[in-house]
Amino acid sequence: MNKSKNAAFAYSFLLPSALLTLVLGIYPIAWAFRYMFYNYKGYGTARFIGLDNFSRILRDAEFWNSVVNTFVYAGGKLLLSIPLSLLLAAILNRKIRGRQLLRAVFFMPTVISTAVMAVVFFTIFNSYNGILNQFLIKFNISSSGIDWLGPKHAMLTVILVAVWGAVGNYMLLFLAGLQNIPEDVYESSSLDGANKIQQFRFITLPMLGPVLQMVIMLAIINALKGYESIMVLTEGGPAGKTEVMFLYLYKLFFPVGGSAASTQVQEFGYGSAVAFMSAVIVGMISLIYFYASRRMNRID
Amino acid sequence: MKKQLLLTSLSAVLALGLAACGNSNTAENSGEASNAGKASDAGAASGEKTKITYWTGDRHDAEFVKEKVAEFNETNTDGIEVELVVKGDDFDTALDLSFQTSDSPDVIRVKENTIGTFYKKEYLAPIDEYLSDDMKAKFPEMTDLNTFDGKRYSLPNYGTTMRLIYNKDLFAKAGVTNPPATLQELVDTAKKLTAAGKADGAYGFAQNFKSPTSALGRSARVIAEMSGFGGFGYDFKTARFDFSGFKPIIEAFKQIKDDGSMLPGVESLDIDPLRAQFAEGKIGMYLSYSSEPGVYSTQFPAKIDWAAAPAPTIDGKVKGASGFLGGQWLALSSKSKHKDAAWKFMEYMYSDQMLTSYQEKGFGISMVPSISATAKTPEVNGIEGFLPNQYDGVWPVYPSVAPEGMKSDDAFFKYMLNGGDLDATISDLNKRYNAALDDAIKNDGLKAEPDPSFDPAALAGKFAK
Repeated sequence: MNKSKNAAFAYSFLLPSALLTLVLGIYPIAWAFRYMFYNYKGYGTARFIGLDNFSRILRDAEFWNSVVNTFVYAGGKLLLSIPLSLLLAAILNRKIRGRQLLRAVFFMPTVISTAVMAVVFFTIFNSYNGILNQFLIKFNISSSGIDWLGPKHAMLTVILVAVWGAVGNYMLLFLAGLQNIPEDVYESSSLDGANKIQQFRFITLPMLGPVLQMVIMLAIINALKGYESIMVLTEGGPAGKTEVMFLYLYKLFFPVGGSAASTQVQEFGYGSAVAFMSAVIVGMISLIYFYASRRMNRID
Repeated sequence: MKKQLLLTSLSAVLALGLAACGNSNTAENSGEASNAGKASDAGAASGEKTKITYWTGDRHDAEFVKEKVAEFNETNTDGIEVELVVKGDDFDTALDLSFQTSDSPDVIRVKENTIGTFYKKEYLAPIDEYLSDDMKAKFPEMTDLNTFDGKRYSLPNYGTTMRLIYNKDLFAKAGVTNPPATLQELVDTAKKLTAAGKADGAYGFAQNFKSPTSALGRSARVIAEMSGFGGFGYDFKTARFDFSGFKPIIEAFKQIKDDGSMLPGVESLDIDPLRAQFAEGKIGMYLSYSSEPGVYSTQFPAKIDWAAAPAPTIDGKVKGASGFLGGQWLALSSKSKHKDAAWKFMEYMYSDQMLTSYQEKGFGISMVPSISATAKTPEVNGIEGFLPNQYDGVWPVYPSVAPEGMKSDDAFFKYMLNGGDLDATISDLNKRYNAALDDAIKNDGLKAEPDPSFDPAALAGKFAK
């Protein structure tokens, strides 16, 4: 088969996914690109307003509050989930009894729907009859329970739920990376007198570099974009304490609040501008990370 | 090479298969489209069912509606099969998506605060051509509530009143005899109920602040309206936003929270968990709609003795009307390919028997005069307190605007949690909401004319003396 036939064959396979990308990926982005220069409420005529939506973003304290919350949420999630998943992967990479079962158990949260998971966690954390508070009160750890979803603890709670959902996934990716490290490297280092900690520091971590770089990259993007469990647990409250960037954006398109929410107006134009700005923020952070972590991609 | 050929052949077969499926659907669809309006007859003649969907966000009457839809499916002779879809709080969002994906329902439940938006979005079809003279006379025409630009898009069934709902057992335990009639009494009663019930985990007052919009939309709104202020901060006299009427209301709510009389965890409390707690006897009072009796008879059977009373006013004087929400119920989708069939279903739903059942079973209070005159008092426990009284009245439709920055409900809830300068908050809200109002008038054609003769008290007393 000559080159052009090979190319045609390859393109025929690429065509369905390219079409899907065009319709489901490129078209909505182009749609949002257009409307970010318009005042559009989802009905009637869209009115061109130039860069007004962007100047509104600059003075929108709620948006910037959501950006700060996103950094706190993403930072907390990364700081807890990456070391924890690496540790779990290192443990479950060893020949211990029941490791297959444990791997499945830790991976389980990944396959559970985020919304369902968040509803379960709501029954655990809610302040008035949550399982956790009942436990704390019963064993005299707390006299009246803790307001887990209240102003003081809500962010910590949503981070913990996010960590629970993410650890298994990253653990599996780390496990795949660990299993690619040749056993003989460890054997020769043992002969040279290296202990387990030294092996982890000087063999495992450097050789896991490319996987680590990719996992952290995925984790950053997921954490910056995550909002589903927060939506179920707190809807961004109380008083904006857990309002993250993409939840704020979602509410601009689809105001929450049941029947009374219909007195609010959908803001497709401004929402598109906020979506663009959010994408720029996520993109910039990803680029900065990618540049800063480029050495991790090299195995010396 | 052979493998590649095999794969190519397989892909071609799959692609053709998909295309075939697509074609068959297209043919079916085009058939449906060309037969639009006559589908039910055609369906009946060919023995195939004409399938239509009915979407509602109501849960309080879900079991009843399910039963009635099943009855319609079994008894109608037009070969119509209705699929009932009961959505949750995502009703509006799901409906928007359904219209974007051409998978929209045929019949839509509309409410007083959604019908205007759905009309502007062109989701609804006018129903004038289907209305007989009898129906036109029987169902009141209400501008901006079921009629837009001279065309009718829905008909009323039941209205929703708003009340203070209270736990009679806890009141008795605390030695309180009457429900509060002023904000100060509300604060004091909440304190007394908490003192009496806290040992058993019961608190005086609760609001579903997971969504401040939902929480204040069912509580602060009715107190403001009863006290003579527009429930969403809009003053019909001046055609301007003025949230100053909310000041004492929000201060009272904050006082209740600061006193420790509010159920712990209201910050993340949704309405259904709130109801579940009330049914268990853990809440002394809250404010909500007349859908509650239905909820406590089916969804969360109440383990306590409870009742409903008119919402308190700021100072005990009723200077306005307690919003009687309604004027519409079902609407026909503009994109329905089976409008005739959908209308037949609507006709069935709007039959006297159905509307009477609605009132008598306590799912709502009829807004259709001929039904109100003949239907018996609802059978449901607790509904008595929700029946129209001399304070209930229909307010004009509030204008919807998109202010920059924090919405009023979020700003008020933030004050309740963190304190601060409420006067400054209100002044900022007035400024931003009026700027958005001016913008909507100038650019979106919103109509907002001052009415110096507007008297909120005159709205009341039209449904009961």
